[in-house]
Amino acid sequence: MSKIEEVKAKVEAGKSKLVPGLVQEALDEGSAPGEILQAMVDSMSVVGDKFSSGEIFVPEMLIAAKAMSKGVEVLKPLMTGDGSASLGTCIIGTVAGDLHDIGKNLVSMMIESAGFDMVDLGVDVPAATFVQAVNDNQNVKLVACSGLLTTTMPALKEAVQTIKAAHPDVNVIVGGAPVTPEYAAEVGADGYAPDAGSAAVKAKELATA
Amino acid sequence: MLTKRQNLMEVIKGGNPDRFVNQYEFMDLIMEAPMDLPLAPAPGTRVKNKWGITFDWPADQIGSFPMHDDEHKALKDITNWKESVTAPSVFYTDEEWAAAEAHAKAVDRNDKFVTAFCAPGIFEMTHHLMSMEDALMALYEEPEAMKELIDYVVEYELAYAKEVIKHIHPDALFHHDDWGSQRSSFISPEMFDEFILPAYKKVYGYWKANGVELIIHHSDSYAANLVPAMIEMGIDIWQGVMTTNNVPELIKQYGGKISFMGDIDSGRVDFPGWTRELIYADAKKACEECGKLYFIPNLSQGLNISSFPGVYEATSEVIDELSKEMF
Ligand code: B12
Repeated sequence: MSKIEEVKAKVEAGKSKLVPGLVQEALDEGSAPGEILQAMVDSMSVVGDKFSSGEIFVPEMLIAAKAMSKGVEVLKPLMTGDGSASLGTCIIGTVAGDLHDIGKNLVSMMIESAGFDMVDLGVDVPAATFVQAVNDNQNVKLVACSGLLTTTMPALKEAVQTIKAAHPDVNVIVGGAPVTPEYAAEVGADGYAPDAGSAAVKAKELATA
Repeated sequence: MLTKRQNLMEVIKGGNPDRFVNQYEFMDLIMEAPMDLPLAPAPGTRVKNKWGITFDWPADQIGSFPMHDDEHKALKDITNWKESVTAPSVFYTDEEWAAAEAHAKAVDRNDKFVTAFCAPGIFEMTHHLMSMEDALMALYEEPEAMKELIDYVVEYELAYAKEVIKHIHPDALFHHDDWGSQRSSFISPEMFDEFILPAYKKVYGYWKANGVELIIHHSDSYAANLVPAMIEMGIDIWQGVMTTNNVPELIKQYGGKISFMGDIDSGRVDFPGWTRELIYADAKKACEECGKLYFIPNLSQGLNISSFPGVYEATSEVIDELSKEMF
């Protein structure tokens, strides 16, 4: 197996202790940082698909994401200024009145591993704070809003509508247990995904459309 | 007419119930028992419980949350759990037990089950202590330490169970532990069998060996893939089963070994704009599809309450109405 293939396999298996060493070996073999990064992005998309289909569960996804981020740490110093790999900035947060963040964090990890720069606003985020973050950050392509409570669905709607009113050209995606594709369309979101794996697919699709 | 308890037994044994079991009616929950609930008491309060876990309920929110920022996380490094985690005492004074004992004495055990309540669950305790992310990753990265921590929580639960049994002699146990999101279990069945099943075999086995006839377990989530493990650990009724589990199919497959309580999703009917018609539609669908045996129609909520006033009561009325229509 080539070193790059090994990096891929170990990211998928979530071996965060092994990945940094393998990334270094791949670099020593002459692979370009961008190529190695792409290999890791690819394995995370496999992980995302397996999660969507129910083949793997939350822990497997968490350790894979951790393994990737350890690998990225090795690459980062070599890639500064090279914005080519980035699909843009994505702002993410859980909407006002809601403190659940496990799903949001998973979505954030997967969108990041698809090639976005993430700005995580945390939980209980008012609509105006999302808008402010779009203003304050460069190259924002996407805003992702999470909501887990039926009682915060109105806050989700308000967030989407406020962001779209201020920035019609920024895509907004929504998700969380009570959110349905119909609801997402009704409130004017550009996209919906049922889980973290498909959220990354959707994010990429919107950014490259 | 059968008593509530007799009717419940007919449902779970596959006999001849004369009506639907109506939600929590068969449990007389002894909530006066001294316990260490995983909650802040009211909006705008913050408490540190006896395990050292801080629960915060911000004033403008609908419930409380364990805090896991650097300052508040009770267990920062699983390999140091012995230094960081100390179980509280399970001993309470006779005065503290008095109200619970009086309540248990007043229950007609022919009509209802005197029911002990336990929350949080063992899995929940691990993520309350260290955050969900840390807890789930530790199952891979530090499995031995996690097993030790789980054993420690089990020892605590067993010691607490002994006190509860001594004071109120429960006939049933209602035990919480959420094992999944709406569409999947948090961990794989294999991992569940390795870490969680052995823990609950001990705990539920102990209650059953000491006079408890009925174990009701709450997980308002998807967990259809964990049903074989639930049966093995001795659960009689899985409460909180959401529609995403395909309950009619579960009943076909496992009815007789375990019963299912729920199939009316709180998220769909318990919201500010609730109506009796919406509840009726979901309850009717549940009752028609699931049938009369091994099934108890119920909101998925983990207590005999609703988030919005009137929803629990309206659901009970609807179920009575459905009993009249269908029995
Ligand atoms: C774990 C949990 C908690 C933990 C949360 C820990 C944390 N750090 O987040 C704790 C115990 C703290 C908690 C507290 C509360 N909870 Co809670 N909780 C849950 C539970 C069991 C699982 C949620 C979860 O983490 N799932 C795992 C993740 C991976 O799945 P997920 O969140 O669905 O996310 C996935 C998808 O939805 C999607 N997704 C998510 N966000 C986004 C965003 C985008 C953009 C996209 C594309 C996709 C996407 O991708 C994710 C990954 O695949 C659910 C039950 C359930 N069945 O869902 C209840 C649940 C959400 N909670 C509920 C409630 C009521 C509360 C409390 C109010 C309880 C109380 N009375 O104190 C408080 C909330 C306080 C507040 N203001 O927010 C209710 C909500 C009911 C309702 N009517 O809305 C639920 C449904 C349980 C129930 N049936 O009663 N909870």
